Amino acid sequence: MTVVTGSSPTRKKIMSIIAHVLLIGASIVMLYPLLWLMASSFRPENEIFTSGVSVLPSPNWSIDSYIRGWNGLRVGFGQLFINSFVISILSVIGNVIACSLAAYAFARLEFAGRRFWFAMMLMTLMLPYQVTLIPQYVFFLNLGWVNTILPLVVPKFLAADAFFIFLMVQFFRGLPKELDEAARMDGAGPWRIYWKIILPLSTPVLATAAIFTFIWTWDDFFGPLIYLSDLRQYTVMLGLRTFTDNTGMSDYGGMFAMSVLSLVPIFVFFLLFQRLLIEGIATTGMKR
Amino acid sequence: MATQVDNTASSGAGRVAPPSFWSGVWQNHAPGYLFLLPWLIGFLGLTIGPILTSFYLSFTHFDLLTAPRWAGLDNYMRMFTNDPKFAASMRVTFVFVIFSVPLKLAFALGVALLLNRGMKGLPLYRALFYLPSLLGASVAIAILWRQMFAGNGLVNQVLANFGIQGPSWISNPNTSLWTLIILAVWQFGSPMIIFLAGLRQIPQDMYEAASLDGASKWRQFWKITLPMLTPVVFFNAIIQTIEAFKSFTPSFIISGGTGGPINSTLFYTLYLYNEAFGFFRMGYASALAWVLLAIVALFTAFSFLSSKYWVHYDD
Repeated sequence: MTVVTGSSPTRKKIMSIIAHVLLIGASIVMLYPLLWLMASSFRPENEIFTSGVSVLPSPNWSIDSYIRGWNGLRVGFGQLFINSFVISILSVIGNVIACSLAAYAFARLEFAGRRFWFAMMLMTLMLPYQVTLIPQYVFFLNLGWVNTILPLVVPKFLAADAFFIFLMVQFFRGLPKELDEAARMDGAGPWRIYWKIILPLSTPVLATAAIFTFIWTWDDFFGPLIYLSDLRQYTVMLGLRTFTDNTGMSDYGGMFAMSVLSLVPIFVFFLLFQRLLIEGIATTGMKR
Repeated sequence: MATQVDNTASSGAGRVAPPSFWSGVWQNHAPGYLFLLPWLIGFLGLTIGPILTSFYLSFTHFDLLTAPRWAGLDNYMRMFTNDPKFAASMRVTFVFVIFSVPLKLAFALGVALLLNRGMKGLPLYRALFYLPSLLGASVAIAILWRQMFAGNGLVNQVLANFGIQGPSWISNPNTSLWTLIILAVWQFGSPMIIFLAGLRQIPQDMYEAASLDGASKWRQFWKITLPMLTPVVFFNAIIQTIEAFKSFTPSFIISGGTGGPINSTLFYTLYLYNEAFGFFRMGYASALAWVLLAIVALFTAFSFLSSKYWVHYDD
């Protein structure tokens, strides 16, 4: 660090204190709704709206709201959690396999039409999903796939989330080409190079894609809303919405408790992998 | 599932000449297409096919149960001349985009500049500010928002402590859209991270040279930081605008699927959903989708054309 002219050490200190005060204030405002949600979910029903703006735990705290909420639908929330996990994990597998295959072709293989297909892939990043929505729905309806999880999962195995192809292409291009060359000299074909060299060196980007896929699929509301109509097939997000409609916003405690539970998996990923997530966003945002 | 690729099909480097022209073509191009196959099937079957189909459907009346009936330009005519809900949803969506995107970017840039002073605790702040972006799209947060901005909700209780009597934000058509704008701005974390990465790319010696010349911090910001950051501003603006046009879940949950009160939260996507899956007017909904595509395409094209004049790429 060089000493910048025109600012004394004391002034620097004052500026730094001001910055910290601003940031701490902003953090409190940002996180306050989440803390309030958390605190309210552990309050007895009669205290939720009498404790005002407090985010401190109630002295009479209880898990009644969680028990009521868990059994608030005809199907227990346990089933909904299993459904959400199944869809999210299958989506992760699909995205990691299909997107890495396509990304390897774009980043490392020579073939006629490569640039054209790559441009097409980038175009799909900009495409609003509403444009393909209705024909896709009709197509899946004719296949008899509506009210199953297939329309939500199968597209992932066909690399429908082009964003991750883009992410992986960026990463693969950064790996030294000499590795491929050396392996080819030893007689390895493209499949061996992909499987033995590229994938093992790409764990950071594969993990980033896996985590984002899980979180986005877990959060997805629109897809399940359209394709799932049987309560036993519902995801957590769909269940939450049904719960609020059924109870007519009367069982606040149960609603808050289930809202908190629905965020737990995302929050766990955030705690474990926040550095990976933040780097993933920073790198794709920068390279064009 | 992935197909096994024959290991002997190498790219032909340093091998004997292939026996015929076609086997050479096969050796050179087959591996690429085999790796691309899953994506290619998805692209042709789930993207290109549906795009062309929805273009055709937009000129028909289609209720999903009977075959589409040709309608010519009826859908488009109705949209632009005789559909108050279409006009309302356009207005709502544009107000949302025009207010939420610049505010979100301003917060993102402001906090990124504060954090970029090489301060202690940067990773912690960065993570805290990013958390809402990660959670924000979920139904749970929309439910929380609906409670916070209710007449007796958290926001009005905070205001009451200052002696202010707040309106019932959600059920008042003048304020309902603002609750959704605030929710969008609350999620400024991801553009902030991208701004931080951009700020780190600016060479430090530019600032040193400028301060030796006696340029104030303020002047340095306008003459160095902002021009150097324009590519990142451009990128963030495009991504966030397209995202804002596609926003659906918060308006659906907060208005209970209606877009009310008095269509004040009727996002374009919500209107399209209700037309398609509420009234089964699939032809009309397809036309709505194509208008959305046209808007996004026009916006993107306009952005790229205008970027020549304000985005600085150093080669």
